[in-house]
Amino acid sequence: MALLEITDLSVTFDTDDGPVHAVSNLSLSVEKGETLGIVGESGSGKSQTAFALLGLLARNGRASGSVRFDGQEILGATTKEMNRLRADRMAIVFQDPMTSLNPYMRISDQMAEVLTLHRGMGKREAVSEAVRMLDAVRIPSARDRIRLYPHEFSGGMRQRVMIAMALLCQPDLLVADEPTTALDVTVQAQIMDLLDDLQKEFGMATILITHDLGVVAGFCERVVVLYGGRVMEEGPTDPLFARPTHPYTRGLLAAVPRVDDADAKMRAIPGAPPDMADPPPGCPFRPRCDFAGDDCLRMPPLEPFDRNRARACRRPVAEVAP
Amino acid sequence: MLTYTLKRLAVAIPTLLLLIVVSFLLMHAAPGGPFTAERELPPQVLANLNAKYGLDDPLWKQILTYVWNVVTGFDFGPSFIYKDRTVNEIIAQGFPVTLTYGLLSFAVAVVVGVSLGIAAAVRHNSALDYAAVGVSIGAQVLPNFVMAPILVLVFTLWLGWLPGGGWQGPEYWILPVVALSTSFMASIARITRSSMLEVLTQNHIRTARAKGLPEHRVILRHALKPALLPVISYLGPAFVGMITGSVVVDIYFSTGGIGKAFVDSALNRDYAVMMGVTILMGALTIFFNLVVDLAYAWIDPKIRY
Repeated sequence: MALLEITDLSVTFDTDDGPVHAVSNLSLSVEKGETLGIVGESGSGKSQTAFALLGLLARNGRASGSVRFDGQEILGATTKEMNRLRADRMAIVFQDPMTSLNPYMRISDQMAEVLTLHRGMGKREAVSEAVRMLDAVRIPSARDRIRLYPHEFSGGMRQRVMIAMALLCQPDLLVADEPTTALDVTVQAQIMDLLDDLQKEFGMATILITHDLGVVAGFCERVVVLYGGRVMEEGPTDPLFARPTHPYTRGLLAAVPRVDDADAKMRAIPGAPPDMADPPPGCPFRPRCDFAGDDCLRMPPLEPFDRNRARACRRPVAEVAP
Repeated sequence: MLTYTLKRLAVAIPTLLLLIVVSFLLMHAAPGGPFTAERELPPQVLANLNAKYGLDDPLWKQILTYVWNVVTGFDFGPSFIYKDRTVNEIIAQGFPVTLTYGLLSFAVAVVVGVSLGIAAAVRHNSALDYAAVGVSIGAQVLPNFVMAPILVLVFTLWLGWLPGGGWQGPEYWILPVVALSTSFMASIARITRSSMLEVLTQNHIRTARAKGLPEHRVILRHALKPALLPVISYLGPAFVGMITGSVVVDIYFSTGGIGKAFVDSALNRDYAVMMGVTILMGALTIFFNLVVDLAYAWIDPKIRY
């Protein structure tokens, strides 16, 4: 049985301009200890998928479908039921470490409360456990620094604190929502190395949400490509990157800037992502797709092909990926 | 923090001296004097009176003498109007009353206002929220001098539940406290509500929820402190507003507080009482603003003095 089984997840936001469909009929699963990458550009529904998993959608957001965690349906779960899972069995690292820590509390208090809540530890024991976790994320002189406030840390160090906080209870599932987007490039590499090491050490299943294909290639066993709130293509990382079979994935990979070719132009996908308050009918990528035809006005189903791969496209594989 | 506190207290001394000099000059600049009456006094009597109270000295000498007496002996001098009473006695009599209903009003305004604001924010767009907003708008547009007679009319004259004036026990405290605190309570509720609503959308609150904390812990432990910052900024002006409000309370409820003495002294040109109360209120305001700043620093670790 998969650790996480998402079936037909849709996330809708009620706004003044009508409903916005952030995620539509998304299905995916994550095995115990597996690393899954969810890639897509801004607005593709990546982060909202993560929030929906943990029940952290904004007030005006609604999720439908099914999310089963370790066999238990959690999509309609009460806050109280979710609180038993959060941080204890499923943890999340957010995108922006500058604002995701509470600026008014010491790091020690912010970390210790996770352990006092889920492990019933006393304050002193919880803090020393938190120090050990800060050591594990390689924060120097953690014993002294744990007494500091977030603003006394750099961005990279704060993200290390966030990661340490997420791992305190050694969760079965870690969701990392663009953990390096807000950081300098050099710090990004350090954080990804750290996550990689920790993932191997603790063995938790990890969902890495990112728009950085390089990060996915280095970290994830499997990838799901999202566009307009729908899955375009999924499969094991190496074969998928070696031979992308969806026009969107192909465009995405072709757009990766190449350092070794100084003369190469940036090859962007023409057009802009769809407005999810008024999505185009059928395949969301159709307006930007070179292969589009009238049959794309109906959303193609996600169909398995090859080994463990799936794609949602009307064009045959041979046509898109010769 | 301790050095900062001491520094602020040190700055308070010249501030108070400035307050004394300016009030003194303003008071004397206004036409008339304590012994101006409808029937003019014989010049000899007036001269004697002026001599007795030191009013025939040059102004600079009067100020110096006054400051000297205040600083060395905490002596604010005799009242110019009530022959056998000193300013210290008048303050000692009225101030405990003002302090009692002032502190109570302050506590009620803060506790009820903040609680109501939090409840409205947490149940955003619910009946409770609309009720809270409605009540606070209603309460805010009712100034205390309108509120006070309405309270007396309803609770004393119609219902007969509460005494409408005097100061003889806790049941006499209720109407003055309600009259004085309601509009501040309403403002605090509205400020708390909107700032809490804003804080609840911040990223670190999502982090707190992701930790599996129960909602009340998220609100009280993570959201309350930052949500209180704008409330604390408002407390300074609210404090001054309560001082002026105490005048209204003293007049409507005959509570015998210092606000009445303040107004009477101004009308009667009782220089000594006026100065004494001004200095007292000035000192309290300075002290209170220091407390507000320290509270700010206590909540926000980025502010360190």
